[in-house]
Amino acid sequence: MTVMEISNLKKSYTPGKLAVNDVSLSIQQGESLGLVGESGCGKSTLARCLLGVEKIDGGSIIYNNTPLANANRKEFRDYRRNVQTVFQNPTAALNPKLKIKDSLLDPYLQFQRELELEHFTFSSKQGFVEQLLEVVELPKELGDRYPHELSGGQKQRVTIARAISIEPKLIILDEPTASLDVLSQGAVLELLASLQKTLGMSYLFISHDLAAVYQLCQRIAVMKDGELLDIFQKEDIYDYSRHAYTKELISIF
Amino acid sequence: MILSINDLTVSHGEKTIVDRVSLTIDKGEWFALVGQSGSGKTMLSQAIGQLLGPNLRASGSVSYQGSNILEHPKTEMNQLRGKAISYIFQDYHGSFTPFLTIQQHMEEYLQTHGVKEKKKRKNMIKEAFESVGLDVPLVKRYPFQLSGGQLQRASIALALLLEPDILIADEATTALDSVSAHRILSLLQELQQKTGCAILFITHDWRHVARYADKIAVMKDGKIIESGSKQKLIHQPEHAYTKQLIQAAPTLPMRIKEASKS
Repeated sequence: MTVMEISNLKKSYTPGKLAVNDVSLSIQQGESLGLVGESGCGKSTLARCLLGVEKIDGGSIIYNNTPLANANRKEFRDYRRNVQTVFQNPTAALNPKLKIKDSLLDPYLQFQRELELEHFTFSSKQGFVEQLLEVVELPKELGDRYPHELSGGQKQRVTIARAISIEPKLIILDEPTASLDVLSQGAVLELLASLQKTLGMSYLFISHDLAAVYQLCQRIAVMKDGELLDIFQKEDIYDYSRHAYTKELISIF
Repeated sequence: MILSINDLTVSHGEKTIVDRVSLTIDKGEWFALVGQSGSGKTMLSQAIGQLLGPNLRASGSVSYQGSNILEHPKTEMNQLRGKAISYIFQDYHGSFTPFLTIQQHMEEYLQTHGVKEKKKRKNMIKEAFESVGLDVPLVKRYPFQLSGGQLQRASIALALLLEPDILIADEATTALDSVSAHRILSLLQELQQKTGCAILFITHDWRHVARYADKIAVMKDGKIIESGSKQKLIHQPEHAYTKQLIQAAPTLPMRIKEASKS
C-alpha cells in the first residue's frame, strides 16, 4: 500500500531556478526510503514541502487519496498527525522552557480526541511519558529534566519518542544523525531500525551519508541539483546501469 | 620528526581534560587523532598553539625545532602560529570576520607576518586561491557569500599561505556533507604532497581516517588508548573501544565498493 505519492513536485525560491525539479516518488507502507544528496541538492526543501510548511509550485503530494493542496481542515489535521518529523538539530527542535515530559506529551494532548493508539496506552501522563522514554532506551528520570541537561544523542532520542508517540504512518527524518558523534550515530540508527520493526511506520530518511542510508533503508533515491537522478533497491546499489553520480557517491564510502 | 608532544596535560581547576598525552608527528605525515565528543582531542590541539582559554592550564612539553613551545612568550608564539603551525577549524564561518572580504583576511595575515610588498601579497593570494581550486574573483567576496565547502577551501588557502610545517585540522570536514568533505580531504592530501607539511587531523569519523591517514591515535577520556600505523589499527585493533569506533560508523559492504571501482 502506498502511504504517500509525490508526483512531478516543483518548488522554486528564485524565479527561473527550481530547488526541487519535477520529483516523483512514492513511499510504501512500512518501508524506509532513503534520500541521498549533497548540501543544496534540494532534499530538505522536498521534506519541507512534504511537511506542508512550504507551498509547492507544481505537481502534487497525495496522501490518503487526497492531494494535500485540496485538503480541508480535517484532512490536513489528519495529515499532520500521520506525518511526523525528526530534524537534524535536536536542540532547536525542543522548547528550552519545557521539561522533557511536557515536550513528549504535547502531540498526544493535541490529538487525543481523535486518537486511537495501538502500541501505546495512555492511562496517566506519567505512565505515558515513561513508556515513551523506555521505548527509546532512555532512563525514566529524564522526563523531569530540561533539554539543556541532556546530551545531543539523548535529545535526539527524545524527538524520536515525540514523533512516534502518536503512531504516525510516516516519519520524515531529515539528517537525524548528522549532528551526533559516531557512537551516538550508530546507536540512533539501530534504534530507528528496531522501532520500525515494532511499530511498522514508514520512513523517509534524508541524509548525505550513503552508508547510513544503506544501513537503514530498503530503497535509495539520489538527488542532485533539485532533480531525482536515480532510485533503486538497496541490493541493486552495485549495478552497471547506476547513474554516474550515484557511482561517484558510492566511491566515497 | 617535526613535532613531539611529551606528557601533555591540560587541566581545568582540579579536572584533568587531557591526561599525560605523548605523541610524535613526523615531517609530511598525516596523523589522525580519533575520538568521541568530549574526549579532549580539541583541547590537545589547542594546547599546541597556546590557544587554550584563560582558565585552562597546559603542562608537559611540545617540542618544535628543539624548544618547548608551550613556554614561548606570547609574541614569539604569534610569529610561530601561521608560519610554522596553522589551524583550520570545524566552524568555517567562525574562522572569518563577517565584515571583511576573504582578500582582506589574507592581506592582514600576510602583513602581520611581515610580507611588506603589495605586489607580492597580491600574487601570493592569487596563487593560494588557485591552489585550493577556487575562482580568483571569489576573493573579493564576503564570507557569507560563499558556500560551506568554498569557505573551508578559503580557510585552507589562508592556513597554507606561509607554508607551515604542520597544519592542525580540527574536525575540518565534520560540518560539510560527505561529497564536499571528500573533496576537501583529497585537496588536503594533494596539498600535503605538494608542500610537504604534516597534518594533525582530528576527527570523530573513522571513515575519514581510513583512506588518508598514515598514523592513527585513538583518544578516550583525555588519554591516548591506542596508536600506531593505519594498517595496524584498522586491521588489528587491540582496544575494545577502537573496535567499537570502527563498527559504529556505517560503511558500504566491501564487495560493492570494490566492484564499483573496477
